[in-house]
Amino acid sequence: MILADMHIHSNFSDGKLSIPELVDLYGSRGFGAIAITDHLCEENTLIGKAARYIGHTLTQATFPLYMQILKSETERAWDQYGMVLIPGFELSKNSVSNHRSAHILGLGISDFINADDDIITLAGKIKAQGGVVIAAHPVSTQKVEKQTYHLWDRREELAHVFDAWEVASGPYLFDEVLHSSLPKIASSDLHSPKQMTSWKTLLYCELHREAILDAVRNQNLEFHFYKSEVTSNDLRNGLDVYSMVGVAGSHALRHVLNSESL
Amino acid sequence: MLYGTYLTLNHFDSVGAGLKIPYHLPPISILKPLKGVDEGLEENLVSFFELEYPDFELIFSVGDSSDPVCDLVRDLIGSYPNIRARIITEAVQIGMNPKVNNLVHSYNEALFDWLLISDSNVRVEKRYLKRLTAQIRPDVGLITSVVSGHSPQGVGGYLEAIYLNTFYARGMFLAERFHRTAAIGKSMLFRRSTANRFGGIQILARYLAEDYMAGEAMVRLGLKVIIAADPICQYIGQYSFRDFWMRHLRWGRIRKAQVPLAFLIEPVVGSVVSFLFGCWSLGFLFGISPLFVMIFHFSVWGASDLLIQKRLKAELGPRWLGCWILRELLALPLWISIAMGSTVTWRGREFTLETGGILR
Repeated sequence: MILADMHIHSNFSDGKLSIPELVDLYGSRGFGAIAITDHLCEENTLIGKAARYIGHTLTQATFPLYMQILKSETERAWDQYGMVLIPGFELSKNSVSNHRSAHILGLGISDFINADDDIITLAGKIKAQGGVVIAAHPVSTQKVEKQTYHLWDRREELAHVFDAWEVASGPYLFDEVLHSSLPKIASSDLHSPKQMTSWKTLLYCELHREAILDAVRNQNLEFHFYKSEVTSNDLRNGLDVYSMVGVAGSHALRHVLNSESL
Repeated sequence: MLYGTYLTLNHFDSVGAGLKIPYHLPPISILKPLKGVDEGLEENLVSFFELEYPDFELIFSVGDSSDPVCDLVRDLIGSYPNIRARIITEAVQIGMNPKVNNLVHSYNEALFDWLLISDSNVRVEKRYLKRLTAQIRPDVGLITSVVSGHSPQGVGGYLEAIYLNTFYARGMFLAERFHRTAAIGKSMLFRRSTANRFGGIQILARYLAEDYMAGEAMVRLGLKVIIAADPICQYIGQYSFRDFWMRHLRWGRIRKAQVPLAFLIEPVVGSVVSFLFGCWSLGFLFGISPLFVMIFHFSVWGASDLLIQKRLKAELGPRWLGCWILRELLALPLWISIAMGSTVTWRGREFTLETGGILR
């Protein structure tokens, strides 16, 4: 059983922490697998260009650095914590209208993809790299932020395209997705350490990359509400621990997962 | 402008004055990319042979073994037998950036983990390396330096010196203050083992501004890029107006590709455009005379630039005032010229820059 979070942002897009800091944050808490999924916005839209101007997206220029740092951190995550780090991105198609906006997670990817293509083409390109395709926060996240309903609006047409649909983003479960027959996954969509308290996924598989991706594809998983604890490491790293939900106990949460699972 | 001036002056007062040289100084490999024998090169290189530092090596990277600079370097190596120095004349073609291509072998063959990449036109004081390494901290990934332009000759030389000693110096501290990368390739101290975490110097060969991207990569690793306590001296020498224009066209287009937002607001923080804004708004709101605004505005601006130049210990010749006025007047036309293109010429080769600084 592996505690996993498959939707995390670093400072390569709009996350607060660097990839090494994320590895330490999750590794020190006993997670078995995480995926770094920074935004990769469209190049030809105004919103995509704005994201590029303010550095909130991966670009063709930063992507090689991103993959190299992920590669070196994959080795460190395994050596230091026994944790699998999976490279990913969040293809972000943003529009003024929530119903024309869609975010697509690609896990286990290796090459840059231009997000301007249509959704089916993008999913095909991710799968061609051996990756897993996930519909990110397809319904309301119950937060004051940009919403992305386009995939949910077209869920019948696109059902075959996605390996899983996010059933939670942060601390909120999406009832519509939960009660659907679609394949699911729960992730935090973490941008800062205070978002650690959130729904995560427990995977039933061996601890290596391909087995983890297969577990998502085959739905060998369940959902788990993870309450973050404050560690001295957070204090040393100056992380924003004051807004975390603190619970006492061991950090080896891989072995104490009986609190709230679905 | 005033805030940038404050940051610049404050940096040299606070960081420079309180610097303590540690007992243990790490051994350092200094990598010097060379091409051709530019004016003042021998004196620049000699300053590195005469560094006061317990353990360092000098590696001179020359792309072409028939380059006349090889003879000069061999002579210098012979003149300083106690200094560990060697020349590597083998460039590799791993990307479009010739400087990185030139440095790859030296990067891989350097004896020590701490590397200092130092351009050929840099001249340093004997304690430079000691004071540079005194700023090493665990949370710092890269230490860069502000450049102080010295010994200008000709109008182009003066314009170059004034640009370096005012606009660029102030811009570096403003960039650092607002958490933007301020690394410049003339002097970059970092660990090879850290750089290898983002793919090493090799991965930077696809960018024209390898220095900016090295800094960016350090920041992405969660490390800081800081500015050294002391400025380094760049020997400028004879410069034509065209040399000055083409060089800043290149630098400007790199800034436009790498940090487009910062580039967009550059004219507004320039002296002429801000004067026009100030003149119009103060006249409209309070009826203040444009002549008064002009005298006050340019006096404050000029005094601020003079203060920075003095702190950088830059030489102020008799042509300074005229060239300073010319530089201020040229800032907007130069910016427009930068904005209207995306090609750059570097050492005789033309490159096309894409957003993000990738070379084509």
